[in-house]
Order: sequence, then C-alpha cells, then structure tokens
Amino acid sequence: MKQLKELFNYRQMIYSLVKKDLRGRYKGSVMGFMWTFINPLLQLLVYSIVFGKLLPNNTIPKFYLYLFVGLVPWIFFSSSLNVGATSVIASKDMVKKIYFPREVLPISYVTSSLVNMLLCFLVIFGVMLGFGIKPGNDFHLSALLYLIPVVLVEYVLALGGAMLTSALTVYFRDLEHILGIVTMAWMYACPILYQLELVQNAMGRWYYLYFLNPMTPIIIAFRDILYEGHAPQLSTLVNAAVMGFVVLIVGYLVFRKLQKGFAEEL
Amino acid sequence: MMEEKYAIEVKDITKKFKVYYDKGAQLKEKLLFRGRNRYEERWVLQGISFQVKTGEAIGLVGHNGCGKSTTLKLLTRIMYPDAGTIEMRGRVSSLIELGAGFHPDMSGRENIYINAAIFGLTRKEIDERMEDIIAFSELDAFLDNPVRTYSSGMYMRLAFSVAINVDADILLVDEILAVGDANFQAKCFNKLREIKTKGTTIVIVSHSLGQIEQICDRSIWIHGGKIKAEGTPREVHPEYLNYMGEKRQEIAEKEQARKDQDQPRKDREDHENGDSADAGGNKRWGNGFARITRAELLNAKDDPQSVFVTGESMTLEIHYQVKKKVEDAVFGIGFFRSDGVQCYGTNTRIDQLAEFALAKDGCIRVKLNHVDLLPGEYLIDLAIESEIGIPVDYYRQAVKMEFYSLLQDVGVSRVDHEWQLDH
Repeated sequence: MKQLKELFNYRQMIYSLVKKDLRGRYKGSVMGFMWTFINPLLQLLVYSIVFGKLLPNNTIPKFYLYLFVGLVPWIFFSSSLNVGATSVIASKDMVKKIYFPREVLPISYVTSSLVNMLLCFLVIFGVMLGFGIKPGNDFHLSALLYLIPVVLVEYVLALGGAMLTSALTVYFRDLEHILGIVTMAWMYACPILYQLELVQNAMGRWYYLYFLNPMTPIIIAFRDILYEGHAPQLSTLVNAAVMGFVVLIVGYLVFRKLQKGFAEEL
Repeated sequence: MMEEKYAIEVKDITKKFKVYYDKGAQLKEKLLFRGRNRYEERWVLQGISFQVKTGEAIGLVGHNGCGKSTTLKLLTRIMYPDAGTIEMRGRVSSLIELGAGFHPDMSGRENIYINAAIFGLTRKEIDERMEDIIAFSELDAFLDNPVRTYSSGMYMRLAFSVAINVDADILLVDEILAVGDANFQAKCFNKLREIKTKGTTIVIVSHSLGQIEQICDRSIWIHGGKIKAEGTPREVHPEYLNYMGEKRQEIAEKEQARKDQDQPRKDREDHENGDSADAGGNKRWGNGFARITRAELLNAKDDPQSVFVTGESMTLEIHYQVKKKVEDAVFGIGFFRSDGVQCYGTNTRIDQLAEFALAKDGCIRVKLNHVDLLPGEYLIDLAIESEIGIPVDYYRQAVKMEFYSLLQDVGVSRVDHEWQLDH
C-alpha cells in the first residue's frame, strides 16, 4: 500500500517520461509528431490495396478493416512485452544513479504505447467516418463507450506483462530475443488474421483452451465494437479482466522482488 | 519501531558484492562451465549501525573503498542491504549523481521539470519552486536553450539547483561542492548551511574533512566495512588523520624497501662504469672525495619516519663515507615541493658554522624545528661542498617526505599568525 502511494507521488515523473517518449519517438524527422497520424493511415492504405484488390477475401467482408481492428490492439500488447522488456535496461544510467520507484519505467512505456494506440484509432475512424464507411450495419456511437473498459483491461494486461518481462530481462538478457519469437507465434494464436469459426471447427471440444489466451477475448471485444458495431458480451469482458488482473498482480510482485538487485545487475 | 526523534536509523546492515572471476552470462557458458562460474564474495559492509537525529548533520569519512559510498547508496535505496534494516523518515533527496535523467535536446526549463519529477515532486510543487531553482542556478538567460548547448559547469549548476531545492527532509550528499567555480561553490556551501538550520537532516560523504567539520555535528569513520570511530569531527578527524599518516608511512617504507633491493645492483653497475661520482644521471654529481651513503628523517623519538603533520619537528641524519680528505667542508640542504618549487635551502656556511674537515666516515644531524610545510610531497636535496665551492657530492632528491594537516590553510608553508579583532 505504501508503495502504491509512493508510486502515486511519482505521477509527474510518469507524465514527463510519457511525454518525452512520445515526443522523442519521431524527434529529428521532418514530419515530426505527424508520423503518429501518417503511419496508421498508410498502413490502412496498404491493407486495403492488398486485401481488397490483390487477395480479395470473400468470406470476411471489408477484410482490411477486420484486420486493422485486431492488429492495432495486438501491436500495443506485443510492443509492451517486447520493447517494454527493455525499459529498465534502457534507463540503466538513471537506475544506477538515483532512487525512484522502478515501476515508473514499465508504466511509462506501456502508457505511451497506449496513447499511441488511441491516437491511431482516432485517426483511422476519423478518416473512415469522413468517407462514410461505418463499421457494421447499425452502428451507434454509443457502442464506443464499451471501448473504455476494453482498453482498460488491455492496459492492465500489457502492464502486467511489461513488468514481468522488464524485470526478468535485467537478469536474463536473452529474454529480449526470445520474446520476439514468442510474440510472433502468439499473434497467430489470436483471432487477428482469421475468424473464430475456423478455430471452433479445428479444435472441437478443446475450443475452450483457445480462450486461455488472454488476448483472445480482448481482440474479440475490440472487433465487436469497432468492426461489428455492437456491444461485446459481458462474459468476454469478465474473462479478459480476470486474466488481466492476475497477470498484473503476478507481474507486480515479481517486479518488486527483483528490483532490489537492479542497480547491481545492470 | 523507530523512535520519533530519529530521521535515519540504520541497524546492523551488511552488504556483499559478487566479484566474478570470469562471468559467463550466456546459457551455453552457464551450462558448460557450471563449476567454473566462480565468484568471490567481497564484504563491503560488515554490520554498520547508526542513528541520525532529525535535523542533525553527519559526515562519513574513510579511505577509498572503505564502504562509505556504499552506505550512502543503501540510504538512497539504489541498492539494498543483504541483512539489516534501514529506516528513513520523510522525503529524501540526494546530491549524488547530479543531472540524472537530463535530456540534452530539451530546454533547461523542461529539464527542470523532468529532473524534479525524478525526485518525486508533482507539477504543482515544481511550479512553486521554479523561481528559486532558476534564481539559484543563475541561468535565467539560457533557460530556454537546449541543455546540450550548456557548458559542463552550467549543467552542474542547473542540476544542483534542482536537487537542493527539493526541500527534502533528508539530504544525502556525496563529495559536495565539486560544482562550478569558486563563487558557486561558496554559494552551495552557504545553501547547505541554510538548509541545515531549517532542520533538514544531512548525511555527507567527503574526503574534505574541512567541509565536514564546518557543517556536520558528528563524524563517523568507516573502516573495512565497520565503524571504527564516531564522535564530533574534532575528535574523530585527528584520529583518522593519524591513522592515514601511519598508513602512508607504511607504504613509503615498502617503496623504500623495494628501492633498496634494487640499489645493490645499481651500485655494482656504477662501479662497472667506473664513475661513481656521476651516477644516477644528473641527480648526482661531484668529485667523489666524500659520498653521502644514507640519509633519513627521524621523528621526535629518533625513529625513522617520512610522513609528518605540518608543524612537527624532525631530525635529518646524513651518513657519509670519506675516500679522500676534504678540507673546509660545507653541508647543504634544500627542500623542494614535488612540483619543483624550492621551499627552503641553507648550508653550514650560510649558518656560519665553524669550518671543519672531513677525514673519516661519519654522520651529521640537522634538527629541524617546527617544519611548517603544508600538505603535499616534498623532496630534500643534500650536498657536500668544499669551501671554495667545488662540489664533492651533490645528491638531488635524496630524501622524500610527506606532510598532512588538520587545517585547510593554503600555500607552501604556514606562517605563524594570530588574528586580533578590534571590538
């Protein structure tokens, strides 16, 4: 409890690190912060050309949108694990020299990735609504309200993952590279490129195992809201929330235990 | 539970570091050379306990590697002790690694926010302190320039200003006042005193005993990971300095012993060259009728010593050998600081001693009363001359000595003085 209060006192540090990260990301490039907006737009353009014209997918309508809605939250999660894993090592000069609650580092990284994801969604849907392309047939803006708990749950999950990986990577540097492979495989274990029915047919009565992947319900929820245009099922959300908090608690406890040795190990 | 009046309570802390002989961090190495992955455990702290009262200032002294900086690092919670507990009451700020987290591309003002945030200040608290920080740093004209354009002095000034304006309850300081020019140093020093009178608890690690004496109420001397002495700076520091003096004496003796081992071989070479008078390049010359064989400094008890406190008395003993009688001999001595500055020189003629002849081997002693040379390394030149100025044996840098002092006065030599205030 005392630690959480202290962490709260360091909110200005988290804020300034997030700002530094967002601003620093495109520092020195001509377009600067504009890249945050250009990047997703160009990606969407590529997807719509590839999957709309070159490889038309007949079973899933507007496949480029289907893909995009799953891919953006996935990229947020996987970069929280991959890049978040190095967040402590990357700040080793600070860790070795000065005291602050070390949790600040993964929290800042995950938060800045979150902001990036939100901006990304904002740009895409701004543009799409502008062109009159709506997700689903009876889309209501109110469905967007469900995004708040979904994003929150994903944030909790990503944060737990980042705490776990960032602390472990300090002691075992190979983890950084292992994670690259793991997240790549993990992506195919999520319903991003394909439909759930496919898995259901293939796995049969083992289908429930598929839902042990905490990213599955999250991606389904995102798709329900932004692609189908309706509210996600409550059971999906609860499922995701429980797994998210378990990961966060485990990640936090491991981080607290391991952080004592950071200064010596780095 | 911690008593209310203590700001810091350290109980029996120990800390060891693993020193790997050959660290293999890769899996292959870990599996293949499991037995080989040996390390030595070095105990840096072996049970240190002390308390610091609220508002008290203490200094940690000790030679390099004694564990005082490690103690400070444990207090800041950068590292954690292997055993024992540390309890701190209130907000902690440290003047240890200044400017951690500075971002070179951002302006001075932005960096103040970033740096202050690392100390756990909220935006509102930073805004409240902004003016003080800027005023103290004297950098208002450059505040909107990126920090990478700053000189290193400006950089440190900014960092120091932030750290000192945190208004911490406990301030930890490692080697203060190595910041900026003399003016800024004086300002920092005054600020530190001001902070102390406001009731901030301060812990200082420094090699400058003078600074500790001026700020701290108490000194703790850490030696070999343990507390060797504790008390007011006036009690602890002389003890510490004496110990350091003895230690240096030991080192000096060891060095001498090593040189002595080399000496016989060198002498033999000299003989083979058939020119004993000009041995050692331009360090030694003369006609060789007489030769200084040995010279050493003795303390008041007539024991050999080479490290002295400023103001101590000593005796210089010069042994010589005579090959051919020298009429009207003159002995001379000269003191040089290690950088070559001559501090003093005289000889038996200047001092109007009756003339004497050197007929057989012997020894001459010079009593040196109250040598007031200030801390540093000094070399003594010795010479034997005949009355008409013919060098018999000039021996440059024959004896080495070292001085240390409790006072912080500066220059070459102390001048005996007394202040008189007109009331």
